[in-house]
Amino acid sequence: MPSRSSSSSLVALLLVLLLAGCGPLHRAAWSGGAAGDGEGVVAILPLQNLSGGTAPVAELRQELARRLALRGMAILPQAQLEQFMARHRLRYVGGIDAATAEALRRETGAKGVLITQVELYRTPFPPRIALTSRLVTTEETPRIERMESVALSGDDAPGLLGVGLVRKPQEVTDRALQLLAEALTGGKPQPVPKVSLASDAVYLARPLEPVRSYRVAVLPFFDKGSHGYAGEILALHFIGELVRQGRFQVIEPGTVREDLLRYRIIMEDGVSLADAELLFGMLSTDLILTGEVNDYEDLQGAQASPKVDFSALLLERSSRRAVWSMGDHRTGMDRVHFFDIGRIATASALAAGMVHQAVEESLGR
Amino acid sequence: MPKRWILPIMTLVVVALAGCAGPAEVYRDPNMDFGALHTVAIMPLANLTRESSAAERVRDVFTTKLLATGALYVIPPGEVSRGISRVGISNPVAPSTEELTKVAGVIKADAVITGTVKEYGEVRSGSSAANSISLSFQLLETQTGKVVWSASTTMGGIGITDRLFGGGGEPMNDITERAVSDAIKKLFE
Repeated sequence: MPSRSSSSSLVALLLVLLLAGCGPLHRAAWSGGAAGDGEGVVAILPLQNLSGGTAPVAELRQELARRLALRGMAILPQAQLEQFMARHRLRYVGGIDAATAEALRRETGAKGVLITQVELYRTPFPPRIALTSRLVTTEETPRIERMESVALSGDDAPGLLGVGLVRKPQEVTDRALQLLAEALTGGKPQPVPKVSLASDAVYLARPLEPVRSYRVAVLPFFDKGSHGYAGEILALHFIGELVRQGRFQVIEPGTVREDLLRYRIIMEDGVSLADAELLFGMLSTDLILTGEVNDYEDLQGAQASPKVDFSALLLERSSRRAVWSMGDHRTGMDRVHFFDIGRIATASALAAGMVHQAVEESLGR
Repeated sequence: MPKRWILPIMTLVVVALAGCAGPAEVYRDPNMDFGALHTVAIMPLANLTRESSAAERVRDVFTTKLLATGALYVIPPGEVSRGISRVGISNPVAPSTEELTKVAGVIKADAVITGTVKEYGEVRSGSSAANSISLSFQLLETQTGKVVWSASTTMGGIGITDRLFGGGGEPMNDITERAVSDAIKKLFE
Protein backbone atom coordinates (compact mmCIF):
# COMPACT_ATOMS: atom_id res chain seq x y z
CA MET A 1 0.00 0.00 0.00
CA PRO A 2 1.43 3.33 -0.94
CA SER A 3 2.38 5.73 1.77
CA ARG A 4 0.32 8.85 2.50
CA SER A 5 3.02 11.19 1.13
CA SER A 6 3.41 9.30 -2.19
CA SER A 7 -0.38 9.36 -2.74
CA SER A 8 -0.59 13.08 -2.20
CA SER A 9 2.36 13.62 -4.58
CA LEU A 10 0.56 11.61 -7.25
CA VAL A 11 -2.67 13.57 -6.76
CA ALA A 12 -0.74 16.85 -6.91
CA LEU A 13 0.96 15.79 -10.14
CA LEU A 14 -2.38 14.82 -11.72
CA LEU A 15 -3.88 18.14 -10.62
CA VAL A 16 -1.01 20.09 -12.17
CA LEU A 17 -1.38 18.15 -15.43
CA LEU A 18 -5.13 18.76 -15.49
CA LEU A 19 -4.72 22.46 -14.81
CA ALA A 20 -2.08 22.69 -17.51
CA GLY A 21 -4.65 21.28 -19.96
CA CYS A 22 -7.11 23.99 -19.01
CA GLY A 23 -4.64 26.76 -19.71
CA PRO A 24 -5.63 29.33 -22.39
CA LEU A 25 -4.49 28.65 -25.93
CA HIS A 26 -2.20 31.42 -26.94
CA ARG A 27 -1.74 32.35 -30.60
CA ALA A 28 1.69 31.28 -31.60
CA ALA A 29 3.67 34.42 -32.13
CA TRP A 30 4.98 35.38 -35.54
CA SER A 31 6.84 38.60 -35.93
CA GLY A 32 6.27 38.88 -39.66
CA GLY A 33 9.86 39.77 -40.19
CA ALA A 34 12.19 36.99 -39.35
CA ALA A 35 10.24 34.10 -40.81
CA GLY A 36 12.16 33.65 -43.95
CA ASP A 37 15.28 35.45 -44.97
CA GLY A 38 17.15 33.91 -47.82
CA GLU A 39 16.46 31.18 -50.32
CA GLY A 40 13.20 29.31 -50.65
CA VAL A 41 10.84 31.90 -49.23
CA VAL A 42 7.43 32.85 -50.57
CA ALA A 43 6.48 36.47 -51.19
CA ILE A 44 2.91 37.25 -50.25
CA LEU A 45 1.69 40.06 -52.47
CA PRO A 46 -0.81 42.56 -51.10
CA LEU A 47 -4.34 41.28 -51.62
CA GLN A 48 -6.30 42.38 -54.66
CA ASN A 49 -9.78 43.48 -53.75
CA LEU A 50 -12.34 42.29 -56.30
CA SER A 51 -15.28 42.46 -53.91
CA GLY A 52 -16.63 45.71 -55.27
CA GLY A 53 -16.66 47.13 -51.74
CA THR A 54 -14.17 47.87 -49.02
CA ALA A 55 -12.14 45.11 -47.41
CA PRO A 56 -9.35 45.23 -44.81
CA VAL A 57 -6.80 43.85 -47.26
CA ALA A 58 -3.74 44.76 -45.17
CA GLU A 59 -5.08 42.98 -42.09
CA LEU A 60 -6.20 39.98 -44.12
CA ARG A 61 -2.78 39.72 -45.71
CA GLN A 62 -1.01 39.90 -42.37
CA GLU A 63 -3.26 37.27 -40.82
CA LEU A 64 -2.91 34.96 -43.81
CA ALA A 65 0.88 35.34 -43.67
CA ARG A 66 0.86 34.56 -39.95
CA ARG A 67 -1.19 31.41 -40.42
CA LEU A 68 0.93 30.24 -43.34
CA ALA A 69 4.11 30.85 -41.34
CA LEU A 70 2.72 28.83 -38.46
CA ARG A 71 2.09 25.98 -40.88
CA GLY A 72 5.71 26.01 -41.92
CA MET A 73 5.77 28.23 -44.98
CA ALA A 74 8.82 30.50 -45.12
CA ILE A 75 7.58 34.02 -45.85
CA LEU A 76 9.55 36.86 -47.34
CA PRO A 77 9.55 39.75 -44.84
CA GLN A 78 7.01 42.41 -45.74
CA ALA A 79 9.53 45.24 -45.63
CA GLN A 80 11.76 43.48 -48.12
CA LEU A 81 8.80 42.88 -50.44
CA GLU A 82 7.70 46.50 -50.15
CA GLN A 83 11.19 47.67 -51.07
CA PHE A 84 11.15 45.40 -54.10
CA MET A 85 7.70 46.66 -55.15
CA ALA A 86 8.81 50.28 -54.79
CA ARG A 87 12.01 49.66 -56.71
CA HIS A 88 10.15 48.01 -59.60
CA ARG A 89 7.07 50.25 -59.36
CA LEU A 90 4.94 47.16 -58.98
CA ARG A 91 1.34 48.25 -58.54
CA TYR A 92 -0.67 45.44 -60.10
CA VAL A 93 -1.02 42.67 -57.54
CA GLY A 94 -3.49 40.42 -59.35
CA GLY A 95 -0.77 38.47 -61.13
CA ILE A 96 2.91 38.37 -61.94
CA ASP A 97 4.67 38.48 -65.28
CA ALA A 98 7.85 36.59 -66.16
CA ALA A 99 10.21 39.58 -65.87
CA THR A 100 8.93 40.58 -62.41
CA ALA A 101 8.99 36.99 -61.17
CA GLU A 102 12.57 36.60 -62.33
CA ALA A 103 13.60 39.89 -60.69
CA LEU A 104 11.89 38.87 -57.46
CA ARG A 105 13.78 35.58 -57.37
CA ARG A 106 17.08 37.21 -58.19
CA GLU A 107 16.80 40.09 -55.73
CA THR A 108 15.02 38.49 -52.78
CA GLY A 109 15.58 34.77 -53.26
CA ALA A 110 11.83 34.14 -53.25
CA LYS A 111 10.99 30.81 -54.86
CA GLY A 112 7.32 31.62 -55.14
CA VAL A 113 4.69 34.32 -54.97
CA LEU A 114 1.33 34.02 -53.29
CA ILE A 115 -1.30 36.02 -55.15
CA THR A 116 -4.58 36.45 -53.33
CA GLN A 117 -7.87 37.99 -54.36
CA VAL A 118 -10.70 39.01 -52.07
CA GLU A 119 -13.81 38.06 -54.01
CA LEU A 120 -16.29 38.94 -51.32
CA TYR A 121 -16.18 40.72 -47.99
CA ARG A 122 -19.39 41.71 -46.19
CA THR A 123 -19.71 42.41 -42.49
CA PRO A 124 -23.49 42.95 -42.00
CA PHE A 125 -25.34 39.80 -40.98
CA PRO A 126 -24.72 37.23 -42.32
CA PRO A 127 -20.98 38.04 -42.58
CA ARG A 128 -19.46 36.67 -45.77
CA ILE A 129 -16.00 36.26 -47.19
CA ALA A 130 -14.53 34.64 -50.28
CA LEU A 131 -10.81 34.39 -50.99
CA THR A 132 -8.78 32.85 -53.78
CA SER A 133 -5.03 32.27 -53.54
CA ARG A 134 -2.55 30.86 -55.95
CA LEU A 135 1.05 29.97 -55.45
CA VAL A 136 3.13 30.88 -58.48
CA THR A 137 6.74 29.87 -58.97
CA THR A 138 9.35 32.47 -59.87
CA GLU A 139 10.94 30.30 -62.54
CA GLU A 140 11.83 31.70 -65.94
CA THR A 141 8.27 30.95 -66.94
CA PRO A 142 6.05 31.43 -63.87
CA ARG A 143 3.98 28.34 -63.16
CA ILE A 144 0.86 28.03 -61.03
CA GLU A 145 1.84 25.48 -58.42
CA ARG A 146 -1.36 25.43 -56.41
CA MET A 147 -4.60 27.35 -56.35
CA GLU A 148 -7.23 27.26 -53.63
CA SER A 149 -10.46 29.08 -52.88
CA VAL A 150 -12.59 29.45 -49.83
CA ALA A 151 -16.03 31.02 -49.52
CA LEU A 152 -17.85 31.21 -46.21
CA SER A 153 -21.00 32.80 -44.92
CA GLY A 154 -22.25 33.16 -41.37
CA ASP A 155 -25.43 31.32 -42.32
CA ASP A 156 -23.81 28.39 -44.12
CA ALA A 157 -25.04 25.97 -41.47
CA PRO A 158 -27.78 27.68 -39.42
CA GLY A 159 -28.79 24.45 -37.67
CA LEU A 160 -31.82 23.99 -35.47
CA LEU A 161 -33.30 27.32 -34.26
CA GLY A 162 -30.33 29.15 -35.73
CA VAL A 163 -27.82 27.84 -33.19
CA GLY A 164 -25.24 27.42 -35.95
CA LEU A 165 -25.39 31.01 -37.17
CA VAL A 166 -22.16 32.94 -36.96
CA ARG A 167 -22.82 36.61 -36.38
CA LYS A 168 -19.30 37.96 -35.83
CA PRO A 169 -17.45 38.81 -39.06
CA GLN A 170 -14.12 38.10 -37.36
CA GLU A 171 -15.07 34.48 -36.71
CA VAL A 172 -15.97 33.92 -40.36
CA THR A 173 -12.80 35.67 -41.51
CA ASP A 174 -10.59 33.67 -39.15
CA ARG A 175 -12.17 30.42 -40.26
CA ALA A 176 -11.75 31.31 -43.95
CA LEU A 177 -8.11 32.28 -43.50
CA GLN A 178 -7.41 29.09 -41.55
CA LEU A 179 -9.03 26.91 -44.24
CA LEU A 180 -7.14 28.74 -46.95
CA ALA A 181 -3.82 28.45 -45.13
CA GLU A 182 -4.41 24.73 -44.57
CA ALA A 183 -5.36 24.13 -48.20
CA LEU A 184 -2.30 26.01 -49.46
CA THR A 185 0.05 24.05 -47.25
CA GLY A 186 -1.06 20.59 -48.24
CA GLY A 187 -4.24 20.35 -46.18
CA LYS A 188 -7.69 19.42 -47.36
CA PRO A 189 -9.19 21.96 -49.78
CA GLN A 190 -12.67 23.31 -49.14
CA PRO A 191 -15.16 21.01 -50.91
CA VAL A 192 -16.82 22.41 -54.01
CA PRO A 193 -20.61 22.58 -53.66
CA LYS A 194 -22.67 20.36 -55.92
CA VAL A 195 -24.41 22.17 -58.74
CA SER A 196 -26.50 20.56 -61.46
CA LEU A 197 -26.15 22.16 -64.86
CA ALA A 198 -28.82 22.06 -67.53
CA SER A 199 -28.52 19.13 -69.94
CA ASP A 200 -27.91 21.44 -72.91
CA ALA A 201 -25.54 23.77 -71.06
CA VAL A 202 -22.30 22.22 -72.29
CA TYR A 203 -21.01 21.65 -75.82
CA LEU A 204 -17.95 19.56 -76.57
CA ALA A 205 -16.88 19.15 -80.19
CA ARG A 206 -14.79 16.10 -79.34
CA PRO A 207 -13.12 14.79 -76.20
CA LEU A 208 -9.62 16.08 -75.51
CA GLU A 209 -6.80 13.61 -75.94
CA PRO A 210 -6.64 11.78 -72.61
CA VAL A 211 -2.88 11.49 -72.22
CA ARG A 212 -1.91 14.86 -73.60
CA SER A 213 -1.15 17.89 -71.45
CA TYR A 214 -2.59 21.14 -72.78
CA ARG A 215 -1.29 24.66 -72.30
CA VAL A 216 -4.21 27.00 -71.63
CA ALA A 217 -4.48 30.77 -71.43
CA VAL A 218 -7.54 32.03 -69.59
CA LEU A 219 -8.53 35.54 -70.59
CA PRO A 220 -10.58 37.77 -68.29
CA PHE A 221 -14.27 37.29 -68.99
CA PHE A 222 -16.39 40.18 -70.21
CA ASP A 223 -18.50 41.48 -67.37
CA LYS A 224 -21.85 42.47 -68.80
CA GLY A 225 -23.51 42.70 -65.41
CA SER A 226 -23.21 45.33 -62.72
CA HIS A 227 -20.54 43.76 -60.48
CA GLY A 228 -17.49 45.30 -62.08
CA TYR A 229 -15.03 42.50 -61.29
CA ALA A 230 -17.13 39.44 -62.10
CA GLY A 231 -15.16 38.81 -65.29
CA GLU A 232 -11.90 38.48 -63.38
CA ILE A 233 -13.51 36.36 -60.67
CA LEU A 234 -14.96 33.88 -63.16
CA ALA A 235 -11.61 33.65 -64.94
CA LEU A 236 -9.99 32.84 -61.57
CA HIS A 237 -12.49 30.06 -60.92
CA PHE A 238 -11.72 28.53 -64.29
CA ILE A 239 -7.98 28.81 -63.68
CA GLY A 240 -8.36 27.12 -60.30
CA GLU A 241 -10.45 24.29 -61.70
CA LEU A 242 -8.13 23.68 -64.64
CA VAL A 243 -5.10 23.65 -62.33
CA ARG A 244 -6.84 21.13 -60.08
CA GLN A 245 -7.63 18.89 -63.06
CA GLY A 246 -3.90 18.33 -63.44
CA ARG A 247 -3.85 17.88 -67.23
CA PHE A 248 -3.70 21.57 -68.06
CA GLN A 249 -0.73 23.88 -67.78
CA VAL A 250 -2.50 27.14 -67.11
CA ILE A 251 -0.53 30.24 -67.99
CA GLU A 252 -0.17 32.66 -65.11
CA PRO A 253 -2.76 35.45 -65.69
CA GLY A 254 -0.10 38.09 -64.98
CA THR A 255 1.83 36.88 -68.02
CA VAL A 256 -1.31 36.92 -70.16
CA ARG A 257 -2.13 40.45 -69.01
CA GLU A 258 1.38 41.66 -69.73
CA ASP A 259 1.24 40.31 -73.30
CA LEU A 260 -2.21 41.76 -73.91
CA LEU A 261 -0.91 45.16 -72.81
CA ARG A 262 2.36 44.89 -74.70
CA TYR A 263 0.67 44.06 -78.00
CA ARG A 264 -2.24 46.40 -77.26
CA ILE A 265 -4.85 43.73 -77.87
CA ILE A 266 -8.27 45.19 -77.17
CA MET A 267 -11.20 42.83 -77.40
CA GLU A 268 -14.40 44.78 -77.61
CA ASP A 269 -16.87 41.97 -78.13
CA GLY A 270 -15.04 38.75 -77.48
CA VAL A 271 -11.95 37.19 -78.97
CA SER A 272 -11.74 37.22 -82.75
CA LEU A 273 -9.79 34.51 -84.55
CA ALA A 274 -7.18 37.11 -85.49
CA ASP A 275 -6.68 37.96 -81.79
CA ALA A 276 -6.65 34.29 -80.93
CA GLU A 277 -4.04 33.63 -83.61
CA LEU A 278 -1.79 36.28 -82.11
CA LEU A 279 -2.32 35.00 -78.57
CA PHE A 280 -1.67 31.38 -79.53
CA GLY A 281 1.67 32.42 -80.94
CA MET A 282 2.65 34.87 -78.19
CA LEU A 283 1.74 32.63 -75.30
CA SER A 284 2.55 29.30 -77.00
CA THR A 285 -0.78 27.86 -75.95
CA ASP A 286 -2.93 25.07 -77.27
CA LEU A 287 -6.18 26.48 -75.95
CA ILE A 288 -7.65 29.87 -75.09
CA LEU A 289 -10.55 30.15 -72.70
CA THR A 290 -12.73 33.22 -72.72
CA GLY A 291 -16.30 34.10 -71.88
CA GLU A 292 -18.77 36.58 -70.56
CA VAL A 293 -20.63 37.09 -67.32
CA ASN A 294 -24.22 38.26 -67.41
CA ASP A 295 -24.98 38.07 -63.71
CA TYR A 296 -22.85 37.68 -60.62
CA GLU A 297 -24.74 38.83 -57.57
CA ASP A 298 -24.32 38.35 -53.86
CA LEU A 299 -27.48 39.78 -52.43
CA GLN A 300 -27.31 40.79 -48.79
CA GLY A 301 -29.72 39.38 -46.26
CA ALA A 302 -30.38 36.13 -44.45
CA GLN A 303 -32.71 34.71 -47.11
CA ALA A 304 -30.98 36.28 -50.10
CA SER A 305 -29.78 33.87 -52.71
CA PRO A 306 -26.75 34.46 -54.96
CA LYS A 307 -27.17 34.46 -58.72
CA VAL A 308 -24.57 33.54 -61.34
CA ASP A 309 -25.02 33.55 -65.12
CA PHE A 310 -22.11 33.17 -67.50
CA SER A 311 -20.93 31.53 -70.70
CA ALA A 312 -17.46 30.29 -71.64
CA LEU A 313 -15.77 29.32 -74.89
CA LEU A 314 -12.61 27.30 -75.47
CA LEU A 315 -10.74 27.97 -78.70
CA GLU A 316 -8.31 25.40 -80.03
CA ARG A 317 -5.10 26.33 -81.79
CA SER A 318 -4.92 23.41 -84.23
CA SER A 319 -8.45 23.74 -85.61
CA ARG A 320 -8.97 27.49 -84.98
CA ARG A 321 -12.43 26.63 -83.74
CA ALA A 322 -14.40 26.57 -80.53
CA VAL A 323 -14.05 23.03 -79.18
CA TRP A 324 -15.91 23.49 -75.93
CA SER A 325 -18.54 25.87 -74.74
CA MET A 326 -20.82 26.16 -71.79
CA GLY A 327 -23.41 28.59 -70.58
CA ASP A 328 -25.83 28.42 -67.72
CA HIS A 329 -27.39 30.38 -64.92
CA ARG A 330 -27.95 29.17 -61.40
CA THR A 331 -29.07 30.51 -58.07
CA GLY A 332 -28.06 29.39 -54.61
CA MET A 333 -31.54 27.92 -54.01
CA ASP A 334 -31.70 25.67 -57.08
CA ARG A 335 -31.03 22.45 -55.18
CA VAL A 336 -33.08 23.33 -52.12
CA HIS A 337 -36.16 21.20 -51.61
CA PHE A 338 -36.75 21.62 -47.91
CA PHE A 339 -35.19 23.31 -44.86
CA ASP A 340 -32.54 25.11 -46.90
CA ILE A 341 -30.62 21.86 -47.38
CA GLY A 342 -28.37 22.24 -50.42
CA ARG A 343 -28.43 26.02 -50.29
CA ILE A 344 -25.31 27.83 -51.52
CA ALA A 345 -24.77 31.10 -49.74
CA THR A 346 -22.22 32.94 -51.87
CA ALA A 347 -21.86 33.66 -55.56
CA SER A 348 -18.22 32.58 -55.30
CA ALA A 349 -19.15 29.09 -54.09
CA LEU A 350 -21.93 28.86 -56.67
CA ALA A 351 -19.60 29.87 -59.50
CA ALA A 352 -16.97 27.39 -58.26
CA GLY A 353 -19.60 24.63 -58.31
CA MET A 354 -20.78 25.50 -61.81
CA VAL A 355 -17.26 25.70 -63.20
CA HIS A 356 -16.28 22.43 -61.51
CA GLN A 357 -19.31 20.63 -62.87
CA ALA A 358 -18.82 21.93 -66.42
CA VAL A 359 -15.08 21.21 -66.54
CA GLU A 360 -15.21 17.87 -64.73
CA GLU A 361 -18.01 16.55 -66.94
CA SER A 362 -16.46 17.31 -70.28
CA LEU A 363 -12.81 18.35 -70.00
CA GLY A 364 -11.69 16.16 -67.12
CA ARG A 365 -9.71 13.03 -67.78
CA MET B 1 -82.70 17.64 -85.11
CA PRO B 2 -83.60 18.02 -88.80
CA LYS B 3 -80.91 16.76 -91.15
CA ARG B 4 -80.87 19.99 -93.15
CA TRP B 5 -79.35 21.84 -90.11
CA ILE B 6 -76.34 19.56 -89.80
CA LEU B 7 -74.40 21.04 -92.68
CA PRO B 8 -74.76 24.71 -91.57
CA ILE B 9 -73.88 23.79 -87.97
CA MET B 10 -70.81 21.84 -89.08
CA THR B 11 -69.72 24.77 -91.24
CA LEU B 12 -70.13 27.15 -88.31
CA VAL B 13 -68.10 24.86 -86.03
CA VAL B 14 -65.28 24.59 -88.59
CA VAL B 15 -65.22 28.38 -89.09
CA ALA B 16 -65.23 28.97 -85.33
CA LEU B 17 -62.37 26.50 -84.74
CA ALA B 18 -60.35 28.02 -87.55
CA GLY B 19 -60.60 31.34 -85.73
CA CYS B 20 -59.01 29.75 -82.66
CA ALA B 21 -55.88 28.71 -84.55
CA GLY B 22 -52.76 30.68 -83.66
CA PRO B 23 -50.76 32.52 -86.27
CA ALA B 24 -48.15 30.46 -88.10
CA GLU B 25 -44.90 31.01 -86.12
CA VAL B 26 -42.49 29.32 -88.48
CA TYR B 27 -41.53 29.86 -92.08
CA ARG B 28 -39.27 27.39 -93.80
CA ASP B 29 -38.11 27.65 -97.39
CA PRO B 30 -39.13 24.34 -98.95
CA ASN B 31 -36.35 24.55 -101.55
CA MET B 32 -33.55 25.04 -99.04
CA ASP B 33 -31.25 22.15 -98.17
CA PHE B 34 -30.68 22.79 -94.46
CA GLY B 35 -28.30 19.85 -94.27
CA ALA B 36 -25.81 21.84 -96.31
CA LEU B 37 -25.44 24.41 -93.56
CA HIS B 38 -22.56 23.73 -91.21
CA THR B 39 -21.40 27.11 -89.93
CA VAL B 40 -23.63 29.97 -88.87
CA ALA B 41 -23.00 33.41 -87.46
CA ILE B 42 -25.40 35.05 -85.05
CA MET B 43 -25.51 38.78 -85.64
CA PRO B 44 -26.25 41.22 -82.80
CA LEU B 45 -29.99 41.15 -82.15
CA ALA B 46 -32.26 44.17 -82.40
CA ASN B 47 -33.53 45.27 -79.03
CA LEU B 48 -37.02 46.74 -78.86
CA THR B 49 -37.25 46.54 -75.08
CA ARG B 50 -36.33 48.90 -72.28
CA GLU B 51 -33.79 46.44 -70.87
CA SER B 52 -30.54 47.56 -72.48
CA SER B 53 -28.76 44.21 -72.08
CA ALA B 54 -31.69 42.04 -73.29
CA ALA B 55 -30.36 41.52 -76.81
CA GLU B 56 -26.88 40.56 -75.63
CA ARG B 57 -28.25 38.15 -73.04
CA VAL B 58 -30.53 36.44 -75.54
CA ARG B 59 -27.74 36.24 -78.12
CA ASP B 60 -25.44 34.66 -75.55
CA VAL B 61 -28.01 32.02 -74.58
CA PHE B 62 -28.87 31.37 -78.24
CA THR B 63 -25.20 30.94 -79.18
CA THR B 64 -24.54 28.44 -76.39
CA LYS B 65 -27.70 26.43 -76.96
CA LEU B 66 -27.33 26.27 -80.71
CA LEU B 67 -23.72 25.19 -80.34
CA ALA B 68 -24.75 22.61 -77.74
CA THR B 69 -27.06 20.91 -80.24
CA GLY B 70 -23.92 19.85 -82.11
CA ALA B 71 -25.76 20.21 -85.42
CA LEU B 72 -24.27 23.58 -86.37
CA TYR B 73 -21.01 25.31 -85.62
CA VAL B 74 -21.63 28.81 -84.33
CA ILE B 75 -18.88 31.32 -85.03
CA PRO B 76 -17.66 32.95 -81.79
CA PRO B 77 -19.17 36.43 -81.19
CA GLY B 78 -15.72 38.06 -81.21
CA GLU B 79 -15.08 36.79 -84.73
CA VAL B 80 -18.52 38.00 -85.87
CA SER B 81 -17.72 41.38 -84.38
CA ARG B 82 -14.44 41.48 -86.31
CA GLY B 83 -16.29 40.66 -89.52
CA ILE B 84 -18.82 43.42 -88.89
CA SER B 85 -16.16 46.06 -88.31
CA ARG B 86 -14.04 44.85 -91.22
CA VAL B 87 -16.96 45.06 -93.65
CA GLY B 88 -18.11 48.32 -92.04
CA ILE B 89 -21.72 47.40 -91.43
CA SER B 90 -23.39 50.50 -90.05
CA ASN B 91 -26.43 48.70 -88.65
CA PRO B 92 -25.46 45.08 -87.84
CA VAL B 93 -28.93 44.21 -86.52
CA ALA B 94 -30.37 44.67 -90.02
CA PRO B 95 -27.64 44.09 -92.61
CA SER B 96 -28.33 44.52 -96.31
CA THR B 97 -27.91 41.58 -98.68
CA GLU B 98 -24.63 42.98 -99.93
CA GLU B 99 -23.26 43.44 -96.41
CA LEU B 100 -24.43 39.98 -95.48
CA THR B 101 -22.60 38.37 -98.36
CA LYS B 102 -19.44 40.29 -97.55
CA VAL B 103 -19.45 39.53 -93.82
CA ALA B 104 -20.16 35.86 -94.46
CA GLY B 105 -17.15 35.75 -96.76
CA VAL B 106 -14.91 37.31 -94.13
CA ILE B 107 -15.95 35.04 -91.29
CA LYS B 108 -16.64 32.01 -93.52
CA ALA B 109 -20.26 31.45 -92.56
CA ASP B 110 -22.76 29.40 -94.55
CA ALA B 111 -25.68 31.29 -93.06
CA VAL B 112 -26.37 34.22 -90.82
CA ILE B 113 -28.99 34.51 -88.11
CA THR B 114 -30.56 37.85 -87.31
CA GLY B 115 -33.25 38.47 -84.75
CA THR B 116 -35.25 40.81 -82.60
CA VAL B 117 -36.01 40.87 -78.89
CA LYS B 118 -39.50 42.29 -78.85
CA GLU B 119 -40.34 41.88 -75.21
CA TYR B 120 -38.10 41.15 -72.23
CA GLY B 121 -38.97 41.71 -68.61
CA GLU B 122 -41.92 42.18 -66.35
CA VAL B 123 -45.43 42.62 -67.67
CA ARG B 124 -48.29 43.82 -65.50
CA SER B 125 -52.00 43.41 -65.65
CA GLY B 126 -53.96 44.85 -62.77
CA SER B 127 -52.31 43.65 -59.58
CA SER B 128 -50.59 40.69 -61.28
CA ALA B 129 -47.07 40.73 -62.66
CA ALA B 130 -44.88 38.15 -64.37
CA ASN B 131 -41.83 37.94 -66.58
CA SER B 132 -42.28 37.59 -70.29
CA ILE B 133 -40.13 37.30 -73.41
CA SER B 134 -40.90 37.54 -77.09
CA LEU B 135 -38.30 36.77 -79.75
CA SER B 136 -38.09 36.39 -83.49
CA PHE B 137 -35.24 34.99 -85.57
CA GLN B 138 -34.43 34.75 -89.26
CA LEU B 139 -31.89 32.52 -90.96
CA LEU B 140 -30.45 34.07 -94.09
CA GLU B 141 -28.62 32.13 -96.72
CA THR B 142 -25.44 34.04 -97.45
CA GLN B 143 -25.07 33.55 -101.20
CA THR B 144 -28.40 35.13 -102.07
CA GLY B 145 -29.27 36.88 -98.81
CA LYS B 146 -32.64 35.12 -98.89
CA VAL B 147 -34.56 34.37 -95.68
CA VAL B 148 -34.79 30.58 -95.57
CA TRP B 149 -36.19 30.16 -92.08
CA SER B 150 -38.04 32.45 -89.76
CA ALA B 151 -39.59 31.80 -86.39
CA SER B 152 -40.95 33.64 -83.43
CA THR B 153 -41.64 32.56 -79.90
CA THR B 154 -43.19 34.00 -76.78
CA MET B 155 -42.84 32.62 -73.28
CA GLY B 156 -43.89 33.62 -69.81
CA GLY B 157 -46.52 36.21 -69.15
CA ILE B 158 -49.34 36.27 -66.64
CA GLY B 159 -51.03 32.92 -66.31
CA ILE B 160 -54.14 31.95 -64.46
CA THR B 161 -52.18 30.94 -61.36
CA ASP B 162 -50.45 34.32 -61.29
CA ARG B 163 -53.84 35.99 -61.42
CA LEU B 164 -55.34 33.79 -58.74
CA PHE B 165 -52.45 33.37 -56.34
CA GLY B 166 -50.08 36.18 -57.23
CA GLY B 167 -46.35 35.57 -57.48
CA GLY B 168 -43.99 37.00 -60.04
CA GLY B 169 -43.99 34.14 -62.52
CA GLU B 170 -40.83 32.34 -63.60
CA PRO B 171 -37.36 33.90 -63.35
CA MET B 172 -36.30 35.80 -66.46
CA ASN B 173 -33.36 33.50 -67.15
CA ASP B 174 -35.57 30.39 -67.15
CA ILE B 175 -38.01 31.98 -69.55
CA THR B 176 -35.19 33.10 -71.83
CA GLU B 177 -33.79 29.57 -71.97
CA ARG B 178 -37.20 28.09 -72.70
CA ALA B 179 -37.90 30.61 -75.45
CA VAL B 180 -34.52 30.05 -77.08
CA SER B 181 -34.92 26.26 -76.87
CA ASP B 182 -38.34 26.60 -78.48
CA ALA B 183 -36.89 28.65 -81.33
CA ILE B 184 -34.10 26.10 -81.87
CA LYS B 185 -36.64 23.29 -81.86
CA LYS B 186 -38.53 25.10 -84.61
CA LEU B 187 -35.33 25.32 -86.62
CA PHE B 188 -34.68 21.59 -86.51
CA GLU B 189 -38.21 20.18 -86.65
